[in-house]
Amino acid sequence: MLKNYFKIFLKVASQNKLFTFLSLFGISLTIMFVMIFSMTISKITSGSGPESDLKKILLADRVKTMTTMQKKGGGYSVSSCGRTLCADHLKNISSAEHTSMFSYGQWEFIFNRIHQNKSITKTDAEFWDVFNYKFLQGRPYTKEDVVNKANLAVITRSLKELLFGTEDNVLGKSVRYTTLDLIVTGVVEDPPPTDQNANGDLYFPYTLIPDNDGSDIFIGGFRIAFKAQSPKQFSIIRNDVQDMIARLDAADTAHTVFLSGPYTQLEKMMVGYGDPEEFSLGHNILKYLLIAFCFILLPAVNLMALNFARIHERGEEIAVRKSFGAPSAVLRGQFLFENILMTLTGGVLGIIMSYVLVALLGNSLTLRLSFFSSVPLTFSFNIMVFIIALIACLLFGLLSGYLPAIRLARMKPAVYLKGGEL
Amino acid sequence: MIKLEKISKTYRTNEIETLALDNINIEVGEREFVSVMGPSGCGKSTLLNIIGLLDEPDEGNIELDSQHILTYEDKKTARMRNRLVGFIFQSFHLIKELNVYDNVELPLIYRKMPARERKMKVTESLEQVGLLNRMHHYPAQLSGGQCQRTAIARAVAGEPKIILADEPTGNLDSVIGHEVMEILNKLNNNGTTIVMVTHDEQLAKMTNRIVRLFDGRLVG
Repeated sequence: MLKNYFKIFLKVASQNKLFTFLSLFGISLTIMFVMIFSMTISKITSGSGPESDLKKILLADRVKTMTTMQKKGGGYSVSSCGRTLCADHLKNISSAEHTSMFSYGQWEFIFNRIHQNKSITKTDAEFWDVFNYKFLQGRPYTKEDVVNKANLAVITRSLKELLFGTEDNVLGKSVRYTTLDLIVTGVVEDPPPTDQNANGDLYFPYTLIPDNDGSDIFIGGFRIAFKAQSPKQFSIIRNDVQDMIARLDAADTAHTVFLSGPYTQLEKMMVGYGDPEEFSLGHNILKYLLIAFCFILLPAVNLMALNFARIHERGEEIAVRKSFGAPSAVLRGQFLFENILMTLTGGVLGIIMSYVLVALLGNSLTLRLSFFSSVPLTFSFNIMVFIIALIACLLFGLLSGYLPAIRLARMKPAVYLKGGEL
Repeated sequence: MIKLEKISKTYRTNEIETLALDNINIEVGEREFVSVMGPSGCGKSTLLNIIGLLDEPDEGNIELDSQHILTYEDKKTARMRNRLVGFIFQSFHLIKELNVYDNVELPLIYRKMPARERKMKVTESLEQVGLLNRMHHYPAQLSGGQCQRTAIARAVAGEPKIILADEPTGNLDSVIGHEVMEILNKLNNNGTTIVMVTHDEQLAKMTNRIVRLFDGRLVG
C-alpha cells in the first residue's frame, strides 16, 4: 500500500511543479532556520573546546538584593555575583568537585597603530580545572599565584600572534594591560566563539584588580561555575548553594538576598535578564516552545491552504478508492503520508541548505542570544539536532495535512464519479 | 442477491429539491444480469450508487447478499464495497498516476492479502480481459477499449459477487462496446450478478431483464 502511495506522491509532485515548488520552498526555508538555530544552540549547550565538560557544570551569575528602603518602594538590584560572595562563600560549596569564579572585561588598545578590541577574563586558579583549555606553551597560574597577586597571565594563540608575531616561545614575555605588566605564563588555544563561559584573550588572577565596591558583598561582576563529578550531583549542589544563600540572607538584616540558579548552560540561556525571582524554567520552556510552534505554524498554515486548494484535483482518485473499499481513515492516512513525504523532502532540502549557508556565510552571520551576547552560526552534527529537524518536519506534515485529509476523506464519491454533478 | 424496498432519495440545494428516486422496489437474483434504462436524469446512476453503498437513501431498506444495511458506518460500508461489489464506470475512472497493474490491484490492497496472492489475482484478471501485455502501461497510453477492459479487470480482481456497471460502453464505439459486453456476459455466466445502466436498447436486450426508470419511478 505504501508503495502505491509513494508512486502517487511522486506523480502528483512531478505533475504540478508550481505547487511542489511553493510547498517545498516554505518547508525548506523554515527547516533551514530551525536547523541553523538548533545547531548553534546545540553547539553552545553541548560544549566544545575548553567547555568540553559543560554537561557537568552549573553556572550562577544573577543575584537579586533588596535593602529595607528598596523593599518599601518596591525596588531591587540585580547584578552579577559579588567578589566576596563568591570568594568567601560560594567557593566553599563542598559538593562540587571544582568551583571557579571569574569576571569578564573589555580591553581596548592601539597596537601597530591599529585599534584593537580584545577581551580579558579575571579568574581564580580553579578556572583551569573547571574548563579544559589546551595549553600550547607553559602552564596556568596557581592558587598561590592568585593569593599572592602574582602579575601572571595566560594568553590565547591569536593574542600571542598579534603581540609577538612569529616568535616561538613567549613565556616570560610581558603584556601590558592598563597599568599592569603581566608576565606570560601560558599560551592556550583560542576557545571557540560558541563558548559562553570560557572565553577571553587575556586571562590573569582576579586578585590583581581591587574590588571596586566592597560595600555590597553580594553584588559585583563575577560568574561562578560549579563542576560536578556527574550531572547526578546537580541537585545536591543546587541545594547546598541555596542553603548557603538562605543562611547569608538570614544573617544580613540590611538585605534580602536571592541567587538565581545555579543553572546548566541551557537553563541559563532561558533565564534571560529580567527579575530572577520571577523566572520560572517551566514557564520559559513553554514560552519558547510556543514561539517555536508559531514559527512552524505559519508556513504549515500556508501549506494547508495550498492543500485545501488542491483537494478537488484529487476528488476523482479519492472517489475511486472509496468505491473499491478504502475506508475514510485509510484515505486520511494516505493523504497525511503524502504530506509528510512532502515535508520530509522539504526537510532534507532545508538541512542541506542550512549546511551550505553556514559553510558559506557562517562567520559573517550571528545568532543573537541576548542583549549582551551573540555567536556566529556554526556546524553541529549531532543526533539531537537531527531529531529536532525530524520532529519539525513531522509537525509540519501533520499540521498542514490533517484538516485537508479530513476534508478529503469526507468527500462524497458519487459527486466525483459523475464529474461533479449528480 | 440485491433487494431494494421503498427506496426514496431527494437531492436538496438551497433553492431546489430534486426527487431522484421515488419509492423504488427492485429485486435482483443471484447470477442475474439486469439492465437499468431510462432518460438522462431519471435516477439510474443514483440507483446504482445506492446499491453500491456510495450514497445513502432517505427512506427504504436495502439488502445485499442477504445482509440488511442498517447503518452506513464508514468502515462497514467500505468493507462491503470491497468484498461484495465491483464498479465499472462510463469514463473508466482509472487513477492516471498508476499503471494498469496498480489500478487493477487497487481493491486488493484494501484487504489484508499477501503480496504474492495479490499478484496472482491481478495477473488472472488481466488475463481474463486480454491485457496482460499492457500491465506496465499508464492509462494515458491506452485506447478507450483498453481502459474499459482495465476497469473491468479492476472490478473483478477482488472476485465480487456483484458488478455495478454505469454505462460501461457509453464512451466506446459499437465494436469495442460489444467486446466489453462479451466480457460482462462471460462474468455473468461464471456466476457474477450484474446490474448495468445503459442507454443502448440493443445491449440491454443482451441481459436477462430490463428495469425502466422515469422521473425516479419504476415504470417497467
